[in-house]
Amino acid sequence: MKQKVLNALIGILVALLLGAVLLVLQGYNPLETYQALFQFSLFGYYPFATTLRNAVPLVLPGLSAAIAFASGVVNLGQPGQLVMGALFATVGGLYLDLPPALMIPVLALLAMLGGMIWAGIAALLRRFFDMSEFIVTLMLNMIADYFTAWAITEPFKDPSAFSPMTPQIAASGWLPKWGEFNSMILFMFAAVLVSWFVFSRWKAGYEWRITGQNALFARLGGCDINRNFVSVMLMTGALAGLAGGLVVMGSTHRFIRGLGANYAWDGVMIAIVANNGILATFLYGLFFSAIQTGALGMELITSVPNEISQVLQAVLVLVIVASREYLNTLVEQLSARRRAREART
Amino acid sequence: MKILIGLINGMISGATPILLAALGGAYTFYAGVFNIAMEGMLLTGAFFAVLGSYYTGSWLVGILLAVLGALLLALIFILFAVILKTDEFVTGIALNLFAVGATTYMLRKIFSVKGVFSNAGIQPIPSVRIPLIENIPVVGEILSGQNLMVWVAVVATFLSYFLIFHTRFGLRLRAAGYNPARLDSSGVPSSRMRALSLLASGVLCGLGGAFLSLGYVNLFAENMSAGRGWISLAAIILVNGNPLGVALISLLFGFSDGLGLLLQGYRVSAQFTAMVPYVATLIALYFYAARKRQMKSA
Repeated sequence: MKQKVLNALIGILVALLLGAVLLVLQGYNPLETYQALFQFSLFGYYPFATTLRNAVPLVLPGLSAAIAFASGVVNLGQPGQLVMGALFATVGGLYLDLPPALMIPVLALLAMLGGMIWAGIAALLRRFFDMSEFIVTLMLNMIADYFTAWAITEPFKDPSAFSPMTPQIAASGWLPKWGEFNSMILFMFAAVLVSWFVFSRWKAGYEWRITGQNALFARLGGCDINRNFVSVMLMTGALAGLAGGLVVMGSTHRFIRGLGANYAWDGVMIAIVANNGILATFLYGLFFSAIQTGALGMELITSVPNEISQVLQAVLVLVIVASREYLNTLVEQLSARRRAREART
Repeated sequence: MKILIGLINGMISGATPILLAALGGAYTFYAGVFNIAMEGMLLTGAFFAVLGSYYTGSWLVGILLAVLGALLLALIFILFAVILKTDEFVTGIALNLFAVGATTYMLRKIFSVKGVFSNAGIQPIPSVRIPLIENIPVVGEILSGQNLMVWVAVVATFLSYFLIFHTRFGLRLRAAGYNPARLDSSGVPSSRMRALSLLASGVLCGLGGAFLSLGYVNLFAENMSAGRGWISLAAIILVNGNPLGVALISLLFGFSDGLGLLLQGYRVSAQFTAMVPYVATLIALYFYAARKRQMKSA
């Protein structure tokens, strides 16, 4: 645990240093830039609430990727599952009008259903035709992109809008806000808790983890690998789909073009940085959200384009993962050398 | 007849970027590198091609910069995956996202635009007209007037086939993937072969990216590689990396690209026609998996 935190800190420090070098090379003042970045994301009531809210569509796909990867399932379909979830929630919000206490759970469930269906297609193709989910989910991402683009330009288009988008969903489906705090963060906390519980405390989660570490051992131990594969796909699809639904219900209130942004891929990166740990995914999700949120404010006062956050994120991922693996081998080497010395004496 | 020629020409230009990227991926496939950074290399190449072509007014400089840009990505891949031994999958994913972020950032920083940069100052890669042959009906209309990069891709296909299967370099390359420990013990570091394969893939993906932004269209758009790097990965897996097979599969994907354009003429929604290449990939994967199952049961 101590080593994990140390690794993370070293990685973040090196990455920020590299980012500073990039900034200096372009003639920006790195200290000022970083100060603005964190000022607009962490320090203060409004910035912090915004960071929390923006973390929702990062953490949920992140959890999805973390659970999938740790279970040995290469589900890279989060982008597609996210937009399908958003589409399902939007369509539900357009045609249903229930009291909010019912409407919100129904829309959230619809969003999860959308993600599950899209992940389920990949799961079935793997289960019955042996098609690797890796490429299949990637292709389904592109197909979902075009499918949702079609859905908002033709059947569900808002006739009064100039660009493709749906009308607003019924107001009863809007997530309530308390001051700056949007209730979508409650869904995020719940998802983190449920994922942690299922993955670390339940029998199913145990079987998934074992399968991820050694599929043969799991099979010989009596796990139904195929069934577990399908359930992991469905659960991770539901998590990614929920992210899309929450974006619609909590911020845009309709399906607009580019709704999925880069959320899901950022989530995949977060899971990778977090080494597929549930709590680590949550924490790194907050950290990445802080960078993205702060970058928008930073642009206002330092003239550094906010897209720098995307570059910074990728550098962070590479450096943190590389330093983790490098430090691990270093620690192993040192301990091996020590053991060798002890054996000699 | 006109439709057929249009379809064939659409197929060829749709296939070219996929073919170039897939040839690059073939080198890493044989060297045993799980290289999924083709998508990012294509995108980086496309950006630098526009950058070079716009500022110097020369498409040749554009191509050169595209190759250098993609090579830079390959060098980062080598640094992390080969030297620091970071997981190849992680490195690839991070590099793809780095490419998206960096090109979007530079688009904003250098050209001060968001989304798309198109300008009359961008010099496209010229087409090659072949005298005499261009007068032959049908065949002439296909062979003549193709973009220069199409011919580069054709040459690259045969060159790669020759390099991989008929030279000492190719033998070592395949050995690095087949049995790295043996290669190491015979005095050739397998990590060097892996690094070389990544450089080769950088060069070819750079060329493919240059075709995307200076041949296929004449502009740079955010994330314009649009999954072609992933399709090329599928192409490599489907034919186990063989360059000639890769060429055939790329033509198949190019055909679905052209078919999509053709269907648009028949009032099919543009969004559905754009899905065709991805659906085609899924269908190809189905047959691949079916064949593998048959071989296993036989």
